[in-house]
Amino acid sequence: MIEFLKRLLRTPQGAIGLFVVVLVLLIVIFGPMLAPNDPEKMAPLARYKAPSLTYLLGTDQYGRDIFSRLLIGARATVVMAVLATIIGTLVGALIGTTSAFLGGRADEFIMRTVDAVMSIPSLLFALLVVNLLGSSTVNALVAVAIAFAPGMARITRSVALSVRKQDYVNAAMARGESSAFIIRREMLPNVVAPIIVEMTIRISFAIMLFATLSFLGLGAQPPAAEWGLMVSEARRYMHLSAGILIWPSVAIAIASIGFNLLGDGLRDALNPRT
Amino acid sequence: MLEMKRRFFLAGTAAILAAPAMTPAFAAAPTKGGTLRVSIDQAVSVIHPLLTRVNPEYLVSELLYSNLTRLKVDMSVEADLAESWTANAELTEWTFKLRSGVKFHDGSAFSADDVVATIKAILDPANASPGRNNIGPIASVSAVDPQTVSFKLSGPYADLPVALAYTNARIIPAAIATGDFKSLATKAVGTGPFMLKSYEPDRLIVVERNPAYYDPARPYLDRIEIRVFPDLSAEGSSLISGDTDIMSTVQPTEFLRLKDSDGVDTLRVASGQFCNINFGCDTAPFNDARVRRALALTVDRQAMVDFVTEGFGTPGNDTPLNPSYQFFKPVATREQNIAEAKKLLAEAGHPNGFEATLIASDRPSVRGQLAIAIREMAKEAGITINVQTMPHATYLDQVWKKGSFYVGFYNMQPTPDGIFKLLYTSDASWNETRWNNKAFDALVAEARGTTDKDKRTDLYTKAQALMNEEVPSIIPAFFDVLAAKRSWVQGFEAHPRASVFRLDYVSLTDKAPKRG
Amino acid sequence: MSPNYLLKRLLMIFYTLFVVSLIVFAITQVLPADAAVMMLGEHATPEALDALRQTMGLNAPVWVQYGHWLWALLQGDFGTSLRTGQPIGPAMFSALGRSLLLAFLSIGLMLILAIPLGIIAAIRRGKVADIVVSLISYLGVALPEFVTATVAVLLLADWLKWLPPTGYVSPTEDFFGAIAHLILPVCVISVILIAHVSRMVRSELVDVLHTDYIRAARLKGMSRGTVLRRHALRNALLPTITIVALDVGYLLGGVIVVEEIFAIPGIGRELIVAIQARDLPVIQAGVLIMAATYSIVNFIADMLYAVLDKRIQYD
Repeated sequence: MIEFLKRLLRTPQGAIGLFVVVLVLLIVIFGPMLAPNDPEKMAPLARYKAPSLTYLLGTDQYGRDIFSRLLIGARATVVMAVLATIIGTLVGALIGTTSAFLGGRADEFIMRTVDAVMSIPSLLFALLVVNLLGSSTVNALVAVAIAFAPGMARITRSVALSVRKQDYVNAAMARGESSAFIIRREMLPNVVAPIIVEMTIRISFAIMLFATLSFLGLGAQPPAAEWGLMVSEARRYMHLSAGILIWPSVAIAIASIGFNLLGDGLRDALNPRT
Repeated sequence: MLEMKRRFFLAGTAAILAAPAMTPAFAAAPTKGGTLRVSIDQAVSVIHPLLTRVNPEYLVSELLYSNLTRLKVDMSVEADLAESWTANAELTEWTFKLRSGVKFHDGSAFSADDVVATIKAILDPANASPGRNNIGPIASVSAVDPQTVSFKLSGPYADLPVALAYTNARIIPAAIATGDFKSLATKAVGTGPFMLKSYEPDRLIVVERNPAYYDPARPYLDRIEIRVFPDLSAEGSSLISGDTDIMSTVQPTEFLRLKDSDGVDTLRVASGQFCNINFGCDTAPFNDARVRRALALTVDRQAMVDFVTEGFGTPGNDTPLNPSYQFFKPVATREQNIAEAKKLLAEAGHPNGFEATLIASDRPSVRGQLAIAIREMAKEAGITINVQTMPHATYLDQVWKKGSFYVGFYNMQPTPDGIFKLLYTSDASWNETRWNNKAFDALVAEARGTTDKDKRTDLYTKAQALMNEEVPSIIPAFFDVLAAKRSWVQGFEAHPRASVFRLDYVSLTDKAPKRG
Repeated sequence: MSPNYLLKRLLMIFYTLFVVSLIVFAITQVLPADAAVMMLGEHATPEALDALRQTMGLNAPVWVQYGHWLWALLQGDFGTSLRTGQPIGPAMFSALGRSLLLAFLSIGLMLILAIPLGIIAAIRRGKVADIVVSLISYLGVALPEFVTATVAVLLLADWLKWLPPTGYVSPTEDFFGAIAHLILPVCVISVILIAHVSRMVRSELVDVLHTDYIRAARLKGMSRGTVLRRHALRNALLPTITIVALDVGYLLGGVIVVEEIFAIPGIGRELIVAIQARDLPVIQAGVLIMAATYSIVNFIADMLYAVLDKRIQYD
């Protein structure tokens, strides 16, 4: 583990990515405790304020403190994205490994169906699902998870198949190791690694999807401090105060670039050909 | 009463005489020709003039069709297809004289039969026209001769000429009204100043001058392109760049941006347009007037004007009338009073407040703003409001008139009777509050048949007081109607009704870009 | 490439469309919306609604409705929109045309930018240039499309006044106007796509550069540049075809927001309007057309790949 971390930190992408992601996670955990103001408290006389000591990043269209909203909104934004990605991955992994395990005609049938589902663009699929279930944060989560599942199924299956054929697995079998040992020590780490890389990158994609759903009025509901919703609401007021748009955008960009870089770093660190 | 008749008659004739000189005095004589580009913020899903429902659709049908009468910017009526009108002393029978020599776009002649067939089509429940309850208490309509139509009403009604200017009371050919009624969903056969050239609901509607229009002077423009912009900020950018010439509706936040742009004129007029919180008065906990009044008491109305209109509006008092309407006299203004609200809640059996989900559609965006603002204000009285937003079409389908707690948004109507009969009486077309208050109904009905101005004002003031007391809906603020245009556009004015545009009076100066 | 493979791929398209038609029909059946109410509006009487349901066959069992729908579809009849009362087919295909125009222009611009970036990143792997390329390509995906598009409009149209902000002009009406109006959306979409492809090119090229085959070429004394041009690039760029074809799905359905902000009435926007208005026949037709386009593009890409890459055996 230490060895792996060292390798991750040796790649610049990994180092920066890890730093940013840890920072974001710290905000997710401690943000609400750090927030100086009530994120929903409106102040008719303090609308569109520029950054000051009272309001570090200024105030929004209702006179609410943007800094506090960002700190508190980290949970709604990042936790949701991570959860949706994990659920989508689990469902996808289940389908993918089952398909790889079954093999033959069943595998063919499952994968062709997954391909067919993938021909519906994920945003569109998420939209249909949210419309079916009604717009709310939880339903948006389900929609994003469902939209992610087919892609993850495909990846899991191909990884599972390729790992089974690897030399080191054959070597372990030749050594007469037990199946449990082979699966635990040889296959699992190699199956999980690429999936974690894919997941990390998809988290930022999930943040975007949630934001887009909010933009279309189908994601988080106001006055939630979810970053995507904050940006999409801010578009109406951006000509009155640019900060309302800029700060949550910056927050999203930092989180998203962080997860992307970390994903790249992980991929390089896991790639044995360095 | 005789004097009354003459006044109506004169009003009608005076309007025709004045019509050619209608352009504002400050403008130079309008030049003919040119292509005008108007931007709208919603798709024109419906062009059937009897079935339109939203302002952009009214804009298009106003270009293609004519009513018997028309609303001027000061909310009085002028003649359109009718030349003049008279009523009997009881205001139960009205006679309209029609303009002669008018032709439909397909070349057929317009006559009293078309008016009769159109009115019957609007009143026929099978056609489901939104105008069915808005064109007056018409019991029967008949053609006296090809140039004269007679209306028999079910009760006295002083506002018929105004009612016939309603956005759905556009005259269509009798052959279509009684024949293939649905055919107007894809084509247009009207007597309006423009003819339909092309129609793509979500992108572009093009109309061209009707050479056979009854007024030889109008319209001034050769062609109007109506462009759909789904995104408000993009719509503003397009006007600033000069790609479009008129922005038919402007949100307050955009207004401030447009005001500072070169070559753009912003237009603003006070109006009775409002956003309200509708209660289903038949559903708990809102079936208790004390609960409704308690929520109304949590509202800081001046703050609301700032939050939802950026200052481009006036405080409301939970009744739909304001100084923009005739027959208006203010009732005592309700101030924010949290202690009183808590007391009322306790009396109603909610000592710890209650929780409810307030639904707001996303068009226009002020609905959501109002919802979030009232959520915060209500918190102080212990009321927990969860806000749920949804796409406008979904809202229309699932919540509007069905829900018991949602944000409404309504245009100013031409008369107090118009708005009361639209929303608040038991027989209102969209009786969304299900308030069903008999005393209120009686006051509105009595005012309908009252011609004496003071007496009528008195009746409406009593009706207002009743609403203010019972609060079928919270009306925290009125909006000014905002629009914008390039300075090379002449003769365009923001109309308080918000659904009237009068683009046939618009012309372009020589500074306008030439468009093929 | 054997005829067998070709046949198999073609059968797959039909299977895909069949599955998609089932999914979309199922979803639209469950969507809480009454097609009759949609058509007649909220002022309709219950009797009128009942009569319409009868004529529209809405009272029939679901599988009968599915059968009718499929049968009409096979005859090229997509039905009529509940919202506008217009036939769906022509409107959808002209929307698809606009979307495809936007998609192809965006792919073109994206390839011009993304491939060199990917190559630089691969060659200078782990160096400053690599990081810079990462950051550039991530900028496109760091923000939701609606923010990227908004910023682009503010910067290039509102402030600098270089380009018309939004709106769609048909190329047949005004060719130069159409190009001018397309530049901004095309830029926005290609910037979003850059990350995907440049990252792909980078990792493929890194892999190829480490193969024995390239090492052997280097050992034979070929210069780095020659190896890159003659051997590595060819093999590294081939998978790009597949990736780009996969992106077509995104380009059709994912750019809804870009189409909305730039007022381009493409197929994505048609669909979002239909979804919001519960215009069920339009949703059904739109999703199906989208899936069909995606399948066909991917089929073409696979064929292209097979023709270009002679080492791969297809059975």
